[in-house]
Amino acid sequence: MSDRSSQERPGTTAAAGGPLGASTQLSPTPTKDTSYTMDELMITVMARQLHGEVLVSSVTALGALAAHLAKRTHAPDLAVLSTPESGMEVAPIPTLTLGQFLTDAQQGIPLTMEDIFDAIFLDRFRIWINPAQVDRHGHVNITAIGPWDHPKVALVGSRGIPEDTSHLSQILYYVTSHTPRSVVAQVDFRSGAGYGPDRMRELGQPGSPTLLVTNLGVFDWNGPEHTLAVVSLHPGVTAATVAEATPFPVALPDPVPTTTEPTAAELALIRAADPLDVRKLEFLSGRAAAEGLVNIYERERQALHAAVWPHRRSR
Amino acid sequence: MNKLMRIDEVVDAIPAGATIAVGGSSLSRKPMSLVRALAARGRGDFRLIVDVGGPEVDLLLGTEKVRQVVYAFVGFEIMGLAPHFRRARESGSVAFQEWTEFTVMAGLDATVKRVPFLPTHVGLGTDVLAVNDAFRRFPDPFGGETLVAVPALAPDFALIHVNLADPQGNGVILGDGHVDVLCAKAAKRTILSAERVVSAEELQRYGRDVQIHRIHVDGVVEAQWGAHFTGCAPYYRADLRHVQDYLTAARDPASWAAYVDRFIGDRHADYIAAVGGAEALIGRLEV
Repeated sequence: MSDRSSQERPGTTAAAGGPLGASTQLSPTPTKDTSYTMDELMITVMARQLHGEVLVSSVTALGALAAHLAKRTHAPDLAVLSTPESGMEVAPIPTLTLGQFLTDAQQGIPLTMEDIFDAIFLDRFRIWINPAQVDRHGHVNITAIGPWDHPKVALVGSRGIPEDTSHLSQILYYVTSHTPRSVVAQVDFRSGAGYGPDRMRELGQPGSPTLLVTNLGVFDWNGPEHTLAVVSLHPGVTAATVAEATPFPVALPDPVPTTTEPTAAELALIRAADPLDVRKLEFLSGRAAAEGLVNIYERERQALHAAVWPHRRSR
Repeated sequence: MNKLMRIDEVVDAIPAGATIAVGGSSLSRKPMSLVRALAARGRGDFRLIVDVGGPEVDLLLGTEKVRQVVYAFVGFEIMGLAPHFRRARESGSVAFQEWTEFTVMAGLDATVKRVPFLPTHVGLGTDVLAVNDAFRRFPDPFGGETLVAVPALAPDFALIHVNLADPQGNGVILGDGHVDVLCAKAAKRTILSAERVVSAEELQRYGRDVQIHRIHVDGVVEAQWGAHFTGCAPYYRADLRHVQDYLTAARDPASWAAYVDRFIGDRHADYIAAVGGAEALIGRLEV
């Protein structure tokens, strides 16, 4: 890890172009590394959506790595946090239990919950949200499967999603498993506002959902009457695959663009920033997830010390 | 004024039916030694107010001490859903009121500012306003746009775990602050548990990290490892091994009864011994 800073200094690696599908490779010409995994493709796509001088919260590993990658490539002014509320100006190493310790050890700037919500209300905040359900009109659900009063599965509660969807001009979602259970015609509970008629009446355009990245492709809500539409499909994914995984019609551009793949430089940045592979956990379930989790939990203090102590001493 | 208390005195001070705000955030800095004592001996019928809740809500539900939960979130983060919260939500055995992270803060802040509500746009376009009848839509009296009135949340008690406290009730928080300062100000009575109680002179050296001020505090309990099995940055991390044991125990009534018997009481020293002793905790959890 000692060569992290030189590897990740902005400007020494080729930025992966601008917006999706408009990638222009700069010199030095990166060699195309085709051995990337789905988490790495999604992180790269997610990173390319982050721009400017805004706070980016790190709640999930994929979100943290997307913010980190963006900052080290095309968006050096991002103010990336290492926890949901603190650790500005540190490298957000994904961990299970050590986010606040990173803030402390790397002398990150602590923020307060008031700072976070003020940034949300002022539209100077971005977050990649990973909902349990997202629907055709851009509503999302992390509250309950089934009716709210007597849910089939009670999830966690709306948390801060209503704050985001009533104030931010860019709302970003991802799901790691695009199936008829996660991408649905209509969510069971609207934890976050989509393009329903009442939101347009009461909120207007601010807070409109912007983008959805899944393991099949990249989507927005620019279909007929603000419905889900394909922006690009990942390499190897066809329109038929999406139709099979989605229980409602999805608008398709013609021709359908293919998602730009990660460059070798982007892959190197992601892997160096997540030596424990915490990002892989978001794609696992059951026993594999439990084993992966224990493995990371037992190793992460050591990884933190290896990554952080030399950095702190050098200050 | 010396506000030092024992944990059993805190339990005795909280009447049945009390509204209790709990600080911390999911697996971070929850006042678990106080919560365990309430789970063991508390009078119950409590109304809980949490912003980002976790084991404290789940344990008090699992020991049938709760009448209503006001929450923005209850869960175990990466470890999964909160088992007793999930069960109670699905069976409808306890009343729940879903708020959001900012509106819980605004509700507490309204109490601090002694106004009946604070306005916001939060919740518009979502079903939170459909299921939570505490909120009201109203027209902005100046411009006419639709706003949401967030009613004041007025806790009788706040329970907060801090890194350090002095006997007068000043408290130092060294990690993320969550919504603890608001809880302390809004509650009629605030009780701190602290990893260590130090003299007023020593505490004062922490400057801006003294986030909780004694004018809002009524009691101080010393409880080293008092947030366990949640974490207390920068001292110790969350004990995910114990979280796994908790989740496994919560699967059926017999194993849950055994868990409660082994770990839940109002003697913090007994709990630390039951989880293997301070030496073992240092090895596993100190960072």
